[in-house]
Amino acid sequence: MKSLRGMTITKVFKQFFLLVIAGSFFAGYSAYSHHSNAMFDQQRVVELSGTIKEFQFTNPHTWVQLMVEDDTGKAVEWSLEWGSPNNLGRQGIRPSTFPPGADVMIKTYPMKDGSPGGLFIGARFADGQTIGRWE
Amino acid sequence: MTSKTKNRLTALLLGCSCFCITYLSAQELPDWSGVWAMNGGTIFDLDTKTGEGGSTTPGVREHPPYNEEFEAKYQANLDLRDAGVFPDPNSYCGIPTGYPRLMNLPDVYEFAVTDKQVWILTENGPNVLRIYTDGREHPSAIDRWPTHTGDSIGHWEGDTLVFDTLSLHSSESGNTIIDRTGLILSDAAHIVTRMAINDEGLMEAQMVIEDAKALSSPWVVTKRYRRLEEGSRVYDYACNENNRNPIDPNTGWTYTIGPDGQIMDINPGQ
Repeated sequence: MKSLRGMTITKVFKQFFLLVIAGSFFAGYSAYSHHSNAMFDQQRVVELSGTIKEFQFTNPHTWVQLMVEDDTGKAVEWSLEWGSPNNLGRQGIRPSTFPPGADVMIKTYPMKDGSPGGLFIGARFADGQTIGRWE
Repeated sequence: MTSKTKNRLTALLLGCSCFCITYLSAQELPDWSGVWAMNGGTIFDLDTKTGEGGSTTPGVREHPPYNEEFEAKYQANLDLRDAGVFPDPNSYCGIPTGYPRLMNLPDVYEFAVTDKQVWILTENGPNVLRIYTDGREHPSAIDRWPTHTGDSIGHWEGDTLVFDTLSLHSSESGNTIIDRTGLILSDAAHIVTRMAINDEGLMEAQMVIEDAKALSSPWVVTKRYRRLEEGSRVYDYACNENNRNPIDPNTGWTYTIGPDGQIMDINPGQ
């Protein structure tokens, strides 16, 4: 039986289950980086709406590359830094979690200098599934 | 029975005895298998922590029994940390974490027990601490030199591993720190660690740290680790695989590399 994005119902439920587990865990998640996070403004949350370009499931950090239209209609690529693939992998996140082309909303602590980047907080897909912290 | 047959039988029995002794010895070693994760954040000495937040939060610090000189050095590191420019050597993706910081890492651990050595394996880094339990002594002073993990020799007291570590790099000789608040030790550090699984099933490592150059009295720090669910896996940690956060060697500021491979925040407005 086929469903959204060509996945079987079983696969959908499996992925949903993994996301629920990951979502529960990340409710209390505080990011550890191998570097200082002083470049991020952790007093401010920015919500972005865009399309996934790439999910870099790499060490030492994963990166969600998101295409977002700015106020002038120009597409801008945002770089959103997340945890290590190892820890995320143990918590149910996979390279396929953010498929290219998926529409998604993302919350981030933005970079202090206004560059199109930030520290990943959480995401919400068009079908309502959430990842990370999404209150 | 001929004398030749008797000799063969005796040799066989002796061989069996040796094998059985070795086997039983291995059987008596505790089961530390599985994958473990440290409890708490990466504050090294949680018992003396003051301030709210983690190791990179301004105002948070610990209170080792530093002498005046090392308290001043720690305070200088805390000031850099508060400004977001404390140079953590781990951020450069190069050198090993070293001891005792490797007991204070995120990601996961394995504690590999063999009859002659125990290895503490950390995913973050990765790092290996080798503890010799085969009865050897530390090398003499002329035959050893500071390294990141130093030299560790140990023995078993029941299910407790007791090991002695010295010959460690300091922040001066090896760019080694203990956590991101800026804790450091000197090259005179001497650490006795006792490790065992406690009544709650947690791996507990108590470190008694002596350092004639840095501390006015022994510093006792206890770290605990929980066993993750069976079947958990450990992965590669390749810090340079896609490190998009280079450090400015002059200011200590952490930059961010954009999708075009160039630094995004060239004017971070520190």
